[in-house]
Amino acid sequence: MKAYLGVDVGSVTTKLVLLDGSNEPLTSIYLQTRGNPVDMIKRGLEAIRKQMPLEVEICGVATTGSGRALAGVMIGADLVKNEITAHAVATMSCVPDVQTIFEIGGQDSKIIIIRDGVVTDFGMNSVCAAGTGSFLEHQAERLNIRIEDFGGHALKSENPARIAGRCTVFAESDMVHKQQMGYPLNDIIYGLCQALVRNYLNNVALNKEIRPKMAFQGGVAFNKGIIRAFNETFRTEVYVPPYSELMGAIGAAMLVRHEMGSNGHRTKFKGFSVSQTEFKVSSFMCKACPNLCEISQISANGKVLSRWGGRCDKWERAEVK
Amino acid sequence: MRIGIPHLGNAYIMVRAMAARLGAVNGEGLVIPPPMTKKTLDLGVKYSPTEACLPYKLTLGSLIEACELGADTLIQARGTGICRLGYYAKGQEQMLHDLGYDAHFLTLDISHHKFLNMLRLIRSVANGNRARTPLHEIISAFFFGIGKVIALDKIEKVAQKIRAIELEKGAANLVYKEAVKAIDDVFDSKNVKRITKEYIGKLNKLPHNPKADPVKVAIVGEIYVVIEPFANMDIEMELGKLGVEVERTLTLSRWIKYSLFLNYLGISEWREVHKLAEPYLDHDVGGDGWESVGEKVLCARKGYDGVIHLAPFTCMPEIVAQNIMASTKEDIPVLAVACDEQMGREGMLTRVEAFVDLLEFRRRKRDGRKVFSVG
Repeated sequence: MKAYLGVDVGSVTTKLVLLDGSNEPLTSIYLQTRGNPVDMIKRGLEAIRKQMPLEVEICGVATTGSGRALAGVMIGADLVKNEITAHAVATMSCVPDVQTIFEIGGQDSKIIIIRDGVVTDFGMNSVCAAGTGSFLEHQAERLNIRIEDFGGHALKSENPARIAGRCTVFAESDMVHKQQMGYPLNDIIYGLCQALVRNYLNNVALNKEIRPKMAFQGGVAFNKGIIRAFNETFRTEVYVPPYSELMGAIGAAMLVRHEMGSNGHRTKFKGFSVSQTEFKVSSFMCKACPNLCEISQISANGKVLSRWGGRCDKWERAEVK
Repeated sequence: MRIGIPHLGNAYIMVRAMAARLGAVNGEGLVIPPPMTKKTLDLGVKYSPTEACLPYKLTLGSLIEACELGADTLIQARGTGICRLGYYAKGQEQMLHDLGYDAHFLTLDISHHKFLNMLRLIRSVANGNRARTPLHEIISAFFFGIGKVIALDKIEKVAQKIRAIELEKGAANLVYKEAVKAIDDVFDSKNVKRITKEYIGKLNKLPHNPKADPVKVAIVGEIYVVIEPFANMDIEMELGKLGVEVERTLTLSRWIKYSLFLNYLGISEWREVHKLAEPYLDHDVGGDGWESVGEKVLCARKGYDGVIHLAPFTCMPEIVAQNIMASTKEDIPVLAVACDEQMGREGMLTRVEAFVDLLEFRRRKRDGRKVFSVG
């Protein structure tokens, strides 16, 4: 059976998905990146190898997410794609009548506007991480609850506390203030969810025409409190697709399936043995000019595979020794 | 007197050419600061108010680097009714003074009579170096400098086309870089012409796919961040790597051609663009804001696939333009990119890549092709 592997290396989580000809994942894995993408990619590959049906033949690999360049070099990707396109493609396929996608991940958030089956506009947070998963996790820790229970508390709230949502730092101090005023925990938590949705809509989604059907995905879509806040804001049901947390990886797999199908190339996939390879990621400062670019390089078994990160392409073009 | 200038694209080549004709060579009468790097930016950011815009910070950084190399007379633009550019020179002069540089500013008023002001400026510089320079020498130096800029823009136009369809990515950039150096190194018009022809030929001969029909994107916006690649993180090169053909409506040669000559004949380079902007914005909002709106409309009519709108972060004229551009009825996608020292390269690249995908999918749909096959 032909299958295509999609790898989404995000700032907080790493997702791998295996697709065959349909849009239902054959198998998938969801891991915390924990600042160590190389190990997580290797662990993810190993997990997929163990979980997948025996007769599968990998015919294409695509990477996406902020770690896409690194992952692409490591495992031999046929396609390295930005996460906006990957999410859009997956959602359009799984939710055909979608017109707006809210995607909130670990450290960034996006909005994608779709009309008649094509992306017409998108936005991405640029200066502020308010409303992203990392912030929520941090606040849950402060309140001494598990992030998994966050949503449950929010659903129980009846009089949500009004929390300033313009800036995470202010949201945090406002939250502390409300705690000291004696607001119930559930109301603070749901107030925080509302503040984050407000922040998202006023920043990332500013000037975007939001129309139903709306899909909500990314790691934060696990959070029932945020879903409730979205629903109440729009007075309509925001749809959370199945596999919402895997959408980026699914989209990447779909894109590579399309591409390999149309160009007939053989995959550059290095095989599951990659999970046994010793990779070394290092960086150095290029001192050729005062730009002092930080060049990242990845090597396997002492051999440099690729370099990137410079303003000019001096190192990308340099013979890899 | 040692003249120093801030960098703006290839403008330094023009200045160097004029200076050479008038007897000043690099290091003696003239100081060209090193190409802009992170050091320039760091200097500019350190000694500018936080809320100042990127062009202010970069030109200040560049001028500081010129002063470090011994420049004592600095050239900067000024004007009324433009934007914050009006006070760049004053603010920067004060800062350089505070830093202990005894530099004197010569300002070029670009709001009225640009041609005469420019000649006047060159004359005062020339006479500062020599007793009296005859007017015809000044005029001839001036035209020689302009000739180089026009030549470079011609070569660049070809490079922009080839970059999108070349088979070996990066080849056109290397040829273009060589061309810039070659033009900078010759000091007579005949050689400038020869080199222009030679390098246009070289670019056209690079292995490329002549049948390719690349996505076409126009870059519009504030003049400094549009023209200076350092300010926009080489966005043109990045688009080229993605196989996109870029057209930049603002070029030095266009600005010069109109501002210096045709405007005197009553021909405005922006008349058409302003007219197109009229249904949405019917007056100048400072900077290049009015033009950005009109350019968007023009690009839609000319059949471009998309527009990238570059603006310095906090640039008032472009913020006005950006909001108006969002609501024009011409249907062409616009990607707004705010340029400042906080801009992350990765974030910018992700956006640009996604934008190019968006344009490609739109094209497929327009041509009746399948946007994307599912399953």
